[in-house]
Amino acid sequence: MPALFSEGFLLGLSTGFYCLAACLPLLAPYLLAEGKAAWKFNFAIFLQFLGGRFAAYMLFALLASLAGKAGRYALPAQLLPACMAACGLLMVFLAAARVSAGGAPCLLKKDLSPWFKRLPLALGFVTGINVCPPFAAGFIRLLEMADIPKGFAYFGGFFGATSLFIAPVLLGTPWLGRRANEIGRLTLLLAGLWYSFLGLKGLLVN
Amino acid sequence: MEPTETPTQRAPAAALFAALVFVPVLFFSSVIAGREISRLYALAWALFAGGIAYAIAATGRVSSWRRVFFSTSALAFLVHFKLGLAGKAFDPTCFKDTPYCHIAMAPYFLNYLYQQYLALMSAGWKLWGPLTLGAVWLFVTLALGRGWCSWACFYGGIDDGLAALPRRPLLRLGSWALRLRDLPAALLIFFMLVSLASMLPVFCLWFCPFKVTGTFLDAGGWQRTAQHALLYSALAALLLGPLLTKKRIFCSYLCPFAAWQAFWGRLNPFRVTLDPALCTGCVKCARACPMTAISCAPGGRPEVSAYCNLCGECLEACPGAGFKYTLFGLELPKTAGFFKDLFTAKFFYVFSALTLGAAFSSLWAPAALRDIVHWVR
Ligand code: SF4
Repeated sequence: MPALFSEGFLLGLSTGFYCLAACLPLLAPYLLAEGKAAWKFNFAIFLQFLGGRFAAYMLFALLASLAGKAGRYALPAQLLPACMAACGLLMVFLAAARVSAGGAPCLLKKDLSPWFKRLPLALGFVTGINVCPPFAAGFIRLLEMADIPKGFAYFGGFFGATSLFIAPVLLGTPWLGRRANEIGRLTLLLAGLWYSFLGLKGLLVN
Repeated sequence: MEPTETPTQRAPAAALFAALVFVPVLFFSSVIAGREISRLYALAWALFAGGIAYAIAATGRVSSWRRVFFSTSALAFLVHFKLGLAGKAFDPTCFKDTPYCHIAMAPYFLNYLYQQYLALMSAGWKLWGPLTLGAVWLFVTLALGRGWCSWACFYGGIDDGLAALPRRPLLRLGSWALRLRDLPAALLIFFMLVSLASMLPVFCLWFCPFKVTGTFLDAGGWQRTAQHALLYSALAALLLGPLLTKKRIFCSYLCPFAAWQAFWGRLNPFRVTLDPALCTGCVKCARACPMTAISCAPGGRPEVSAYCNLCGECLEACPGAGFKYTLFGLELPKTAGFFKDLFTAKFFYVFSALTLGAAFSSLWAPAALRDIVHWVR
């Protein structure tokens, strides 16, 4: 098991940059939109995001191992665009719903309940289910192993290493102010529309 | 110069100022354009720049004459470069790399960093494209800052020229003008992130209205249709936006480089500053500002934001002459003698902006003149 954890960890280390590039358009706007000039607060958002991502990884580890056991070695074609569309729509929702009152450009004028306001866990989850090339490489290895505990160990290692690459995004957040939050919300909206478009296009056209 | 002086009294100092601009522009223009075409075209361009310098110094009006220079430069760019592109066919793959255009530079900054990182990892450190572009940008930012967008950008000249055409706006943006003012900053961050994630120049492929041609848009079907739709929307913002609103819509709300330069432009010392003692709160400046860079601070006084690109329009619009060019908010100490009129932040700024703008546009303006002469013949 430790050997598999290390294998996943090494895969994560070698492809971490791609994970960073793939996760940044989702995490960075959210941190910009919701972060405060308080490092601890932003760290809490980051941890929730990682929690959601971890849950998604473990879910995939489970599904891949089960699929491997059943002898199915291919991902459904609609999975990737569906995940992307889910991700984009959640981002649009977060951007629209969280925009606070007070002159900001907003789709919904009033604040929603705090439960809906902060959903980094969900964002982390939809980021996790967005299949990127390094993730797909790990996924194929899991199909091959077809063993649930081993799959968890392997993806646990992969998750740990890739999270190291994503962590530096926190460095810029202690300077966030209200203006940066508004810019972040607009960015979140744009990124959400972008992923929704790509996802829906994949679902409807391909 | 002293507002009490007449243009005739200002003529000697104006002639000196024109010569100060003309000489370096002639030098750079001859070096740049003279490699391929007759130096007479370079001379003509330098004379034009010198003439603009004279007009600014003699009349004291910066923005009106700046606009003549700026729009002419943009038109020359369209004539020489863009119209030449329209008839050509491109291989789509040639646009997969990050292009070297100043507007593209900002949204692909992370991609440039990544390219540089790859160069380092492959035992080199020199990737001359991004390094050269970075060095040029740093120089421009230190010399001109946000003034790039009102003196040198070959695209901004189109927006600026069109915004000056209507006598009054047909469409008023109301409170949305300020509410959406941070959109370019959001666009900049968005394009930086998705360009890095996809390793594609997303701004160029999807949004840039200046590519004029759609030949290199990728894929077919939906994606191509969506790309065309965004291209035409951006073109409409560029061409119709200023005609309807008298504001530089593309530059103010859509250009990622404008947001980038608004951030880094703080490195440059030149500022447009309001003297509160001369302000009556008429807010004519806010209405005149084509960049929506003036808002009302608490107390009803105008406040100039970081989006100001030092065009000088508010200097001309303010009935109390409350605005002036400064260095970090301060004027230079007054001097006596022949040079006293030129020894001001305003003329240091205009010299810097006009010389750099004219030298930069030597890349296309003399050649455009040559093209026109050939067509006429
Ligand atoms: S504040 Fe004045 S100088 Fe600055 S962009 Fe507006 S009109 Fe031009």
